[in-house]
Amino acid sequence: MSLEAVFSARAVTKFYDMGEVRVHALRGVDIELYAGEMMVLLGPSGSGKSTLLNILGGLDRASDGTVIYRGFDITQAKDKELTQYRRSHVGFVFQFYNLIPSLTALENVAAVTEIAANPMKPAEALDLVGLGDRMHHFPSQLSGGQQQRVAIARAIAKRPSVLLCDEPTGALDSETGIVVLEAIDKVNRELGAATAVITHNADIAGMADRVVHMSNGNVSHVERNEHRRNPRDLHW
Amino acid sequence: MRALDIKLFRDLWAVRGQVIAISFVLAGGIATYVMAASTLDSLRRTQARLYREFRFPELFAGLKRAPESVAARVAAVPGVAAVETRVVAPANIELAGYEQPVSGQVVGLPRGQGRFNLLHLHAGRLPEAGRDREALVSDGFAKAHKLHPGFSLQVTINGRKQRLDVVGVASTPEFIYQLAPGSIVPDFKTYCVVWMNAAPLEGSFNMTGAFNQLAATLERDTRVDDAVMAVDHILRPYGGLGSHGRKDQISHRYLSEEFKQLTIMATMFPVIFLSVAAFLLNVVVGRLMATQRSQIATLKAFGYSTAAVAWHFLKFTAVIVVIGTALGIAGGAWMGGGLSRLYMDVYRFPYLDYSIREGVLLVSFAVSIAAAGTGTLFAVLKAAGESPAVAMQPANPGRYRRSLFESKWMSQPTRMIIRNIERRPVKSLLSIGGVAMSTAILILGGFWGDAVDYMVFAQLRRAQLDDITVTFFGPVSTRALHSLTSLPGVTYAEPTRSVAARFRFEQKTYRTALQGMEPEGRLRLLLNTKLERVELPADGILLTDHLATMLGVRPGQMLTVELLEGSRAVREVVVAGVVSEYIGVSAYMRRDALNRFLREGDSATGAFLAVDSKLVPELYARLKKIPAVAGSAARAQALQSFYETLAAQMLTFALFNTLLASTIAIGVVYNTVRISLSERSRELASLRVLGYTRGEVAYILLGELTVLVFLAIPLGLLVGHGLAYFMATTAQTELFRVPFVIEPSTYALAALVVAVATVISAFMVGRKINHLDLVEVLKARE
Repeated sequence: MSLEAVFSARAVTKFYDMGEVRVHALRGVDIELYAGEMMVLLGPSGSGKSTLLNILGGLDRASDGTVIYRGFDITQAKDKELTQYRRSHVGFVFQFYNLIPSLTALENVAAVTEIAANPMKPAEALDLVGLGDRMHHFPSQLSGGQQQRVAIARAIAKRPSVLLCDEPTGALDSETGIVVLEAIDKVNRELGAATAVITHNADIAGMADRVVHMSNGNVSHVERNEHRRNPRDLHW
Repeated sequence: MRALDIKLFRDLWAVRGQVIAISFVLAGGIATYVMAASTLDSLRRTQARLYREFRFPELFAGLKRAPESVAARVAAVPGVAAVETRVVAPANIELAGYEQPVSGQVVGLPRGQGRFNLLHLHAGRLPEAGRDREALVSDGFAKAHKLHPGFSLQVTINGRKQRLDVVGVASTPEFIYQLAPGSIVPDFKTYCVVWMNAAPLEGSFNMTGAFNQLAATLERDTRVDDAVMAVDHILRPYGGLGSHGRKDQISHRYLSEEFKQLTIMATMFPVIFLSVAAFLLNVVVGRLMATQRSQIATLKAFGYSTAAVAWHFLKFTAVIVVIGTALGIAGGAWMGGGLSRLYMDVYRFPYLDYSIREGVLLVSFAVSIAAAGTGTLFAVLKAAGESPAVAMQPANPGRYRRSLFESKWMSQPTRMIIRNIERRPVKSLLSIGGVAMSTAILILGGFWGDAVDYMVFAQLRRAQLDDITVTFFGPVSTRALHSLTSLPGVTYAEPTRSVAARFRFEQKTYRTALQGMEPEGRLRLLLNTKLERVELPADGILLTDHLATMLGVRPGQMLTVELLEGSRAVREVVVAGVVSEYIGVSAYMRRDALNRFLREGDSATGAFLAVDSKLVPELYARLKKIPAVAGSAARAQALQSFYETLAAQMLTFALFNTLLASTIAIGVVYNTVRISLSERSRELASLRVLGYTRGEVAYILLGELTVLVFLAIPLGLLVGHGLAYFMATTAQTELFRVPFVIEPSTYALAALVVAVATVISAFMVGRKINHLDLVEVLKARE
């Protein structure tokens, strides 16, 4: 594994002003994400992990601090630049899949490849997540796990540098969740995209190179796994 | 329920744009109804009140001359309650400083207390007894010339000119609607009613101790026709012109016809508008409620009953209903007031009893509540019928399928647009229907203007080609025509003979003028619907198409024609054909044939003149000096007064309706796209997250809107065409028929308004797309 940092976040702060109260979601987070690594962000609800992921993905802005993506400071980026950034470099996977119901699996992937610079073929991306035989199904014809795998295929079809997954198994039972994690694990290994998976499920941490524990808007500690476990061996 | 009520207001505030847009749709429909109903009600009430207060009689008779003693015989007719006689003389009037001749009639005031047609004095006072030169003038004339008591007029009665000093301005129910001889629309500048003491008028008109007009009231339950027969029998030896009830009294008849016209407009516009608004309200509220699905489920999960939830959302709708109805009533009352005042300019009502009946308000609220209530209940009950657990699950992706209309070259966003439209055909059809209906009502407003323009074009530019129409006091020998031709500026003159006649076919009768025309006439053309000339037959008569329809007679059938003057001959005449006329109803035959029918020589009661426009002032100056001339109507002026009076009323009405239709159109389009945004914000935000630009996301939403609007506009034009046709065929009165003419510009304008509404809505919603909260929509399930 190379040690090139894809992301380098320094003193990232995020607060929300709710009337007279200021809620701190992030209180000066320092973190790196390295090329090709699999990182799991672990922490309870409200620990700030989703906020951090949204800032890394260009969906939200930090209140203070810097986030450098390959020399590009996304905290200073304009909205147009952020759109371009998401379009070219970031793959997202969400808890509730967020597929376009009116498009088939293949077309959902194509919706992204059509606007990407150097995408893979949509069918190839679906093959990668094991859905080559379901390409022409609409989301309503797919199970939750299958929908989430389509979402993964859609996220990686543009060959992103980073893959950000927010509770990808949150809406799934454990068996289906493991199939989804396998897909994430596979694309991480095969495409080498730096991957960050958010979860509050400690059992998932085993599949990571690095586990970042968050609590109260801060990184509490970081642990490194000697061996990444195969998701198939995980249980919860 | 307090917390829920707070939620209600916050929710309303959150969708305030839509609340306002829906309120406007509703207000547009309600305003049309309130405007029309209140105007019609007010005019009818005012008319009824005037008739009562100023004692409008029920039977009218004109005659040549009868001694005063005859009145007692009429009073003795069974069923006749009271009788009053008087002398009325046609007159030529000159007003110092006004170039055109003014025609009018001089009415003798009753000696002592009058029984009928009491005067409403607008200014000044009544002529004093024994003051022979004192007179009153009609308020329309005084207003048109901005005159106040204290001026004088030169009035020529029976060839004798005299000065009258105007001491007051008055109006009465018998002259609410005033028409000069030879005119088709009121022109207050060139027509005047003068009242003066009876004695001097009788003197100058050689009528001392006699009368030529009689009015009567009838006892309850008396049939007018019976009284008319008995009175006609008594008056026939005295040159009776045929008596009649209110139905045939000129002012009343025109007023009734105009009210009929207004009733049609005031019924059809609101019925169409209100149905459209109610339909749209129903759809829009239903869809707005459908976006509250998760809230409804959540409330149910808390333990609220379905009834409580439905009640909560009904309150939500109630706010829209109250705002929309209140706006509609206020706007309708404001426009109704303005419209009524416009009518008052033509109808010489001394006052207007403007009011809105409670019934109108009740109907307004009932329609709003029914439309919004059913829309709400339907959507809420559907959502509340689902188990609350459904709302706890991730939203099920909607079922979609491939569309027939897509090709493999399409981009995914285009595919989304097409599949989305196809997937919910009912929703798409309702959106298309809503936009189409608002396009249609826009055409309905514009159609009226086109119809009026065409009416004027056909009647005053194709059929009536004379510059000035001269009317004589009675039949004159056509030798008098030669003297007309020698007048300054007159290049050509064509005689015409007009006589009052009663037409009978089977059980139906109708009283109007029978006009004798020159067979090869150049100044008055009889035209068919294609504006081609219809030749006058050597034998037989031509009828205005509407008259033929009213009588139920077809060309080739025999019609009984009873002349009401001169020979009073009754004859069976063949209907040779019909002519298309949009204003008034008449019958035509060759003048020589009419002269023979009247058993008279070559004579005329009027002439059509072609005039060199530069010499018109001199011509007028000379016409004023010719005693036989009762009136002269200029075509240009007729055109002008038509636009100023009848057309102004109709066009104002139509303009208001166009404005309301635009309001409805904008409200509908905005809501369609706004709700679409709420329904799809999650999907659109997901695409933004995936790296779609704002423009690319807007394309999906607005592309769908554009497709719907593009489908809706042609449909709307078609529906508008149909509605206008329906209105034209329904709006047929004796006064005028509305031709079915829609100019391309009207279609274009309707389409343009909808297109502009779409662009504005797209712009407003586009701004909302820019502010989609990417993080928030990803968290929410719906």
